[in-house]
Amino acid sequence: MNALMKVCFPIRTELMTTVRLMTGGLGSHVGLGVDDTEDCKACVTESLLMLLSAGYRSAELLFSEDDGLSVSVTGTDKTQNKVPMYEEEISMALLEALSEGFVIEKEAGVLRTLRFRFAL
Amino acid sequence: MDELFQKYRETGDVTIRNKIAEKYLYIAAVIAKKFVGRGVEYDDLYQVASLALIRGIERFDPEKGIKFSTYITPSIAGEIKNYFRDRARLVHLPRTVTELRARIRRATEELTAETGKNPSAAELAARLRVSEEEVVRAMEAGVTVSLDRPAEDGTSNYYDTIPAPDDGSIERMESADMLSVAVRGLNRRERTFLRLRYGEALSQAETAKRMGVSQMSVSRLERKVLAQIRENVRKDMS
Repeated sequence: MNALMKVCFPIRTELMTTVRLMTGGLGSHVGLGVDDTEDCKACVTESLLMLLSAGYRSAELLFSEDDGLSVSVTGTDKTQNKVPMYEEEISMALLEALSEGFVIEKEAGVLRTLRFRFAL
Repeated sequence: MDELFQKYRETGDVTIRNKIAEKYLYIAAVIAKKFVGRGVEYDDLYQVASLALIRGIERFDPEKGIKFSTYITPSIAGEIKNYFRDRARLVHLPRTVTELRARIRRATEELTAETGKNPSAAELAARLRVSEEEVVRAMEAGVTVSLDRPAEDGTSNYYDTIPAPDDGSIERMESADMLSVAVRGLNRRERTFLRLRYGEALSQAETAKRMGVSQMSVSRLERKVLAQIRENVRKDMS
């Protein structure tokens, strides 16, 4: 698996379009189809929403090339203030449905990292 | 809720199925919103999602120990993706879509037909003789707001700000208001004509029969009433 890009950023509304553009660019770079690229963008945004609701203020995104695009989204800068998740179960099921190999990692029972992949 | 599912499986009673559907319709709305911005209107996506929800209710077996929301989400997402595959290419693009976006869609169709697989941005760029970056940017920017980004309050996303499908009460209130202006000054006979011809959607001949007059009279009455309505509306708007 070749690491392509690693980015840390605050989970803020005004950066989401940039994150989606970056994801789209990397999808294009590895040769994903446009529909898979759109799904990947939705998964990245959904993951960030989940981390935000778990109380993280920042995130680290790691994109790797692996006969497709592998994405790891990790929450950083945790606060104690959890924002109620609007529909966590739906988000999880959606990520599972759209991507391949979706897994989450928890730390002391709290969501920490989400990983998923889109194959060529 | 499990009891309702169980009862539905035992009886097949559609009213029970509809009760369950009402309870879970929000899932269809939430998921449909996630797919907005890909060239298909939200209402169409919501309809596809709702149908998938109903099919899911019909198939769901609560005894398998899986929560319904977990069970139905991939089904709805799958149906929407199938819809994109089968139908989205036929949907007319909104006027606001940029020329490049339209060209990308056309090229996607052509390349999909030629190669049998969904094209990458690089392939689209080569076909359209533009840069990959332009393709990627056109797919994202200037077309639609990224509605799945977090909203200002940080607790939801912008999809959640799209009004939920309502019962049309506001439209009905506005229509009723406009109607009261339109029919101002019409006598009982003229109002009866309106109710039959436009309320019950009867033909001129049927309206004439119900009112006990000739069709010719109804035709004349129609011209007179419509002229009066137009005049009332024009006065109200000026």
